[in-house]
Amino acid sequence: MEFSKLNKWLNELNICIRCGYCYEHCPLYKISNWEIDTPRGKLLLTYGLLTGRIKPSSYVAEKLFQCFYCKNCSKSCSAQVSPTDIFTDARTDFLGLGFQVQGTTVKNDEKRCITCGRCVSVCKAKALSMDISNMRVLVDRIKCKGCGVCVAECPVGAMSQKQGFGVSRPELSAKIVGPLAEVRQTPKVIILCCDWSIYPGLRLSRTELTETESPASIIVTVCGGRIDPGLILDTFCRGAWGVMIACCPLGECEHDGNYRAKDRVTLVGKLLDVLGIGSQRLRIEHFATGEDQKLKKAVAGFVSEIKSLGSI
Amino acid sequence: MKINIKLLKQIVGEENVRDNIADLYMYSSDSSVHEANPWVVVKPERVEEVQEIIRYANDRLIPVVARGAGSGACGHSVPIDGGIVMDLRRMNRILAIRPRDVLCKVEPGVVCDDLNRALQPYGLWFPSTPESGRVATIGGAIANNGSGVRAIKYGTVRDYVLGMKVVLANGELVTLGADTRAQSSGYQLDRLMVGSEGTLGIIVEATLLLRHLPKFRAMGIAKFNKLEDAGETISDIVASEVTPSLLELIDDIAITALNKTLNMNFPQVEAIVVYECDGRLKEAVDYDMQTIKEICEKHNAFGIEVGSDAKEMERIYSGRKKLFAALSRYREGFVCTSLADDMAVPSSKIAECARKIHEIGERNHVIMNAYGHCGIGVMHTKILMDATKKEQWEDAKRAVAEVYEYVRSVGGTTSGEHGIAISKAPAWKKEKADSLHMMKTIKKALDPNNILNPHKLMDAPDDWVAATKLRYPVQL
Repeated sequence: MEFSKLNKWLNELNICIRCGYCYEHCPLYKISNWEIDTPRGKLLLTYGLLTGRIKPSSYVAEKLFQCFYCKNCSKSCSAQVSPTDIFTDARTDFLGLGFQVQGTTVKNDEKRCITCGRCVSVCKAKALSMDISNMRVLVDRIKCKGCGVCVAECPVGAMSQKQGFGVSRPELSAKIVGPLAEVRQTPKVIILCCDWSIYPGLRLSRTELTETESPASIIVTVCGGRIDPGLILDTFCRGAWGVMIACCPLGECEHDGNYRAKDRVTLVGKLLDVLGIGSQRLRIEHFATGEDQKLKKAVAGFVSEIKSLGSI
Repeated sequence: MKINIKLLKQIVGEENVRDNIADLYMYSSDSSVHEANPWVVVKPERVEEVQEIIRYANDRLIPVVARGAGSGACGHSVPIDGGIVMDLRRMNRILAIRPRDVLCKVEPGVVCDDLNRALQPYGLWFPSTPESGRVATIGGAIANNGSGVRAIKYGTVRDYVLGMKVVLANGELVTLGADTRAQSSGYQLDRLMVGSEGTLGIIVEATLLLRHLPKFRAMGIAKFNKLEDAGETISDIVASEVTPSLLELIDDIAITALNKTLNMNFPQVEAIVVYECDGRLKEAVDYDMQTIKEICEKHNAFGIEVGSDAKEMERIYSGRKKLFAALSRYREGFVCTSLADDMAVPSSKIAECARKIHEIGERNHVIMNAYGHCGIGVMHTKILMDATKKEQWEDAKRAVAEVYEYVRSVGGTTSGEHGIAISKAPAWKKEKADSLHMMKTIKKALDPNNILNPHKLMDAPDDWVAATKLRYPVQL
């Protein structure tokens, strides 16, 4: 049987009414704006495969390997369909069929890798392992959820994610350049948000934040743990007066990325003090899903403090 | 038919055209039971692009089906004849919010809830937002004349459309209506476009009347041991001097589904009625709430809970909005299909209609439930069945026919808010038998080559089951 893992989901796929509520908060759809990148679209892909409407192809496989497992889709589905579980089984079947695709999963550059094992130790999904006999890092593309914590943690830049999903380093840097280039916008505050917890609330708050007094620019990333020290420093170098990292409450992050982010904020804060910039210009705050009002207040408070500090 | 993909890419850009079989399959269905692949999908961003696509399609007699969120319940955006599906979600700009004129101008791809978030700082809102407003687009809501839970006080989408810009079948751009509330005689062509389901033109901009957000809201939930009592209560409330801002019936099947999937903790009774009043004065709202409570009590309601806690009210609304999908979990092996889903009956017939629906479901070996915005006469049902069995589709077909026969017999209408498209067309054509010729004449005059969403409404096939391939894996 071609789709031995996926087969069991046919009834669940019948249950899906295709209302589309699942794509409301899908970060991938926000980037591509194509139906095929929505959770509904990917459920249709699996349905099409099982019912013979479409044939397996590299294109289809690549799409099914594109998911950050934020599970905003599952949370919005009152039919209780779990898209991510279905995608995981589809991934297994596609690998079994011999398809070699990366999607949103991480890649290890063996030429750069010094096999320090740092990435393996921070991967909560246990998607990374050390092949001792060949001294190389192996990526389990079924388990990898694309959080990017290992990418941020790698000391030599050997871990990477493909461009096109808004999470690669060049893309994150590019997102910062735009708002900071707006010369009239002061104080220049950048908020780096984790969309696992903040994104739905962020959408609720965004209009008010931009319509009223707050000039902060919000950038959505995937996980607070993806924000590497270099990115934070780069943000200051490009003219930011202050940077806030907004991520899940401690203990609630699927990847423990918020602990990583917290450590990095402490570290970079010390550096900012040494440089005379001041650690008070860098802050980490924790928000649970739906705490949009708390986020709004925290942003307004931070902007006000940075305003009184002035530019660097 | 060979489509000039290269030309379409020149019009909207390489990245906004797809003809891969996997992408085409994405656009083959919506929330209905139907399925048909388009030949190509395009995503225009500007009005001029829409015009160029339409000119090309009209010249080559290629069908064009406009699509928003694809959340329609009866096959509006299913390209029954193939052709071009035009995904309008890139046209999602709010062009103007004019508080002094109490109106806004929007592109068709603006998501309903996004518009309301943008309006909130001005103390304004667009009340006629469908339950699917989290994804549903304004263009879809207009093309379908949606309404939503607050229509009892605030009316339907048609009441809020002041004007619009439309690309006609020949590619011409016309401005219909005006920025005023009053528009005297002459054919009100903007109103004609509302509810035309993409068959007369592509709406590329809409001018919408807005309302001020109410200062106070209160909600009540009344429980009933008999479905009929709940129905009669609604009829009496509608006939009273009070106009609630929300008046919903939820029957036992819906209660079970909501409790099971969303832990709503609704009491397991035969029916509940949810009502809400809003206004500028707390005292006035309280007075209306009291009147409704008394009507409920007259019909044996018990355990009436009244409150104005915003979080609790949001929990109830949110649960109500997710009922359609929740019904899929009512019984193992039965999936929720959007059939006979939104008839409207005169307000005195609510109780009778609800009971009829249950009876028809039982008689035809499917599960049908009764819920909805009964304050405006809209009675929702869904057909829960084993969609993989051929005989269940025969059962469903009989049940649908029986429901609509009853609806017509009491002076009701086939669709109160979800539209006609394919699934409801056979019943609707019976209901509108003597005006179908008028409609066909209008269609012919505005779209002589029949390229705009062909074979929907009055031109849809007479057998909805055989109209397209069904989305489910079933051999008929």
